[in-house]
Amino acid sequence: MAVHQLIPSFVPGDATGQAALHLQLLLRRMGHFGELYAGEVGAGLESLAHPVSALRPAPEDLVLYHHGIASPLSGLLMHLPCRRGLVFHNISPAHFYTGTPLAEALISGRAQLAAMAPFVEVALGVSDFNCAELRAAGYRNVHTVPLFIEPERFAEANADPALLQRLRGPSPTVLSVSRVAPHKRFEDLLALHAELVRLRPEARLLLVGGYEPGSRYFKSLQRTAKALPGVHFLGRLSHTELVAAYRSAHVFVSMSEHEGFGVPLIEAMAAEVPVLAFGAAAVTETLGGAGIAFDRKHFSFLAELVVEVTGNQDLRQRLLQGQARRLAHFSAENSQRALAEALRETASPRPRPRRPARKPKRPRVAIVVQRYGEVTGGAERHAQQLAEHLAPHWDLTLLTTCAKNHLSWENAFPPGPDRVDGLPVLRFPVTRTRNIRPFNALSNTVFNRANERLREEHWVAEQGPLSPALLAHLETARDAYDAFVFFTYLYAPTVWGLPMVADRTLLVPTAHDEPPIRFGTYADVFERPRVLMCNTPEEISLIERFYPKHARARVVGVGVDRPKATPQRFREKYGVHRPYLLYVGRLEPGKGIPELLSHHRALRQRYADAPDLVLAGEAHMDLSGEGVRYVGRIDEQDKHDALAGALAVVVPSRFESLSLLTLEAFAQSTPVLVNGHSDVLVGQVERSGAGRAYKDLESFITGLREVGQERAPMGNKGLAYAKKYSWTKVVAAYQEELDRILEEKRQ
Amino acid sequence: MKLLGRDIPARELIGRIEERLRSRGLPTSEAAEVPEEGVEPRVDPLSFYLHSLEEHADPTQPLPLHTHRGGVGQLVVVAKWAFRKTCQVLINETLARQRVFNGHVRDSYAQLSAEVLRLRREVEELRAAQAPATPPPEPPIVPVRPRRPRAK
Repeated sequence: MAVHQLIPSFVPGDATGQAALHLQLLLRRMGHFGELYAGEVGAGLESLAHPVSALRPAPEDLVLYHHGIASPLSGLLMHLPCRRGLVFHNISPAHFYTGTPLAEALISGRAQLAAMAPFVEVALGVSDFNCAELRAAGYRNVHTVPLFIEPERFAEANADPALLQRLRGPSPTVLSVSRVAPHKRFEDLLALHAELVRLRPEARLLLVGGYEPGSRYFKSLQRTAKALPGVHFLGRLSHTELVAAYRSAHVFVSMSEHEGFGVPLIEAMAAEVPVLAFGAAAVTETLGGAGIAFDRKHFSFLAELVVEVTGNQDLRQRLLQGQARRLAHFSAENSQRALAEALRETASPRPRPRRPARKPKRPRVAIVVQRYGEVTGGAERHAQQLAEHLAPHWDLTLLTTCAKNHLSWENAFPPGPDRVDGLPVLRFPVTRTRNIRPFNALSNTVFNRANERLREEHWVAEQGPLSPALLAHLETARDAYDAFVFFTYLYAPTVWGLPMVADRTLLVPTAHDEPPIRFGTYADVFERPRVLMCNTPEEISLIERFYPKHARARVVGVGVDRPKATPQRFREKYGVHRPYLLYVGRLEPGKGIPELLSHHRALRQRYADAPDLVLAGEAHMDLSGEGVRYVGRIDEQDKHDALAGALAVVVPSRFESLSLLTLEAFAQSTPVLVNGHSDVLVGQVERSGAGRAYKDLESFITGLREVGQERAPMGNKGLAYAKKYSWTKVVAAYQEELDRILEEKRQ
Repeated sequence: MKLLGRDIPARELIGRIEERLRSRGLPTSEAAEVPEEGVEPRVDPLSFYLHSLEEHADPTQPLPLHTHRGGVGQLVVVAKWAFRKTCQVLINETLARQRVFNGHVRDSYAQLSAEVLRLRREVEELRAAQAPATPPPEPPIVPVRPRRPRAK
């Protein structure tokens, strides 16, 4: 069954949105497809969450509604023609807001909570305290599914260095994190600080959380704070800034008088800050014996306690060790266990796929790849070649999208069953096209810095291709396949689809060193499949560097075909009469083409007899230049003819997991000139001895000269290297991995 | 004062801190009001909505004047009060039909909710008659009057 989630608001920094994303992660790991629907979708987040009006659940689907303060979505939930569930995030008691308009909304929220009870199959509370409130409101099938955090996101390395530097100061620094609201009792924090500065005049109080500058409550806090030294209202912070604030603090203090869970308590634990908290509502439950909970706001006592915790190293260490133990309870694995238990009674039996009358002789395998067919792209070509070679052994189905263009993901092929070179292909439509310019702008805001999950997931969604029907197929038809082969770690179908079927998945990551590989959101992709079918040892080292807990990995690579080639045929067909350098592939900035054109232009200016540059493939940029010949997309035979006749093949991309072009050049006894910033390409050149690497113009020219002088011996070395890449070996490796899965299934 | 924590020698810590407070001439325990904390009671939706509809059915009546802002916020409150005082006749005239409509909504909700309560009771009675063994407990249907903000 699909499990969709309904949330009142999905905006950055909202705790409910974060909880919904976390729940979605767990649901995928449990094999469920599901989308997010929100009453309010934050600007730019439309790729991650849909408006409520788009929610059209099937009768067997489950919709989980996240409830807090009064929302019209509660009425919607009761009328949804499907199975219904509720996630309760608690509601602040109205007595804190008596006499304000908020009180009405808080009581309404509780009335809605009770009203929904008879219409809901399963209710989830994020704490036992919340579950008790659910039971009091009339719910029966109630389960505690605690929130979880990803502790690694609170590591010091993820702190904003500038803010960390700015906040560095003398001990004790007290931190509190929450939005500025009356029941959070910021006035008590200030009272504590007033006592603390009597003991330690250099003490500081950092207050993190959104506030309304004009509000009477905030102004009164400001007035009190003005009379005290060292009080800093930092407002709402980005994730890296928040980590810097945690990492600058010596003690975390919560004076809140109502918490349904208290996420900042466990964030502080993750950031290795001792926690002192007033034991209200669910606070003591969340602390679970870790940190220090107190029952009275005796400020002079608490100030002494802060001094004790910051100065007594033995006590501090004991607290931190205890908190580390407690933090382990708030792991994704524990939450998943609780969620699985909660949904066990709710889950509808998975529809059994129609099995053929006779047991199939060959294993049924789906290859999942973002595009397939008449498309240009290294990974896509890799998938196509692999499919063609595995087809005689396995009952293959290609699961892919209708997209042809990897920049826009526009639907170009009709959805549904198709056949490509005799292989069955099932195409699913893409629901959102990509505009590459805003996408690049988004990339600049998230690359090379630490982010919270929301921002990384948002980037993945914008990267696309978004094809909910493909993900839904993985859920509903998973039992129709014995195994899955996913292609390319980077794209949304892999990031979100692989965890759904990870226990029988082989991933061909085609990973290379690019900023998104550092995103924590890719952890499931590298850690959960059965095996990573890598292309080179360099690729495994790279994965090892970012994901030490990665799944078993092996170098498999590809086979290389060596069709007979006639260089003269290419020269005559395209009118190429001078010596030439060749590049075949996608012609776009990401492949290093501008740098190649620039080097070639400089080469022409220095040497009158410089070779031409022949470019073939799908162009997404201007390719003009003296001596530059663009021949468009060419067929396989033309490609091999061109490779055989080239002075050298240039591979200018710095992001490669395996250069098929390099291997195909070697197979035609042609040396290569590769981008020396790519470890993979350098490794291939060094192992083969059939080319040179360049990092700048001078090394490009030197390398070209050497390749030109030693073309024949280098070509021979290349050919010998290419012969090692046989499809027989590749197919045997895949067979071996599939046998393991089948064997386990039999057992 | 109680300190809860598995990793701390609570009694020793409290003793040490109280000793320090005594040496500073400060009281070791202050009388502090411990807030009542527990599970919030169920707010019965049928009676809550009925009560809310009764209270808000007349759109010509103002909501309590309130602002969470200081300074300019107070001026806004005064302006709203002045608007009400001078334009109430106009407000009454403009919202006359809305007032009638809201009255019908309130009355029909009252009738429907009473029907729901009656039907629930009947269902319970029927269930009890069919399965006398151990019927599962139903959520309370006796309405609990919610605590409401007091209008100024």
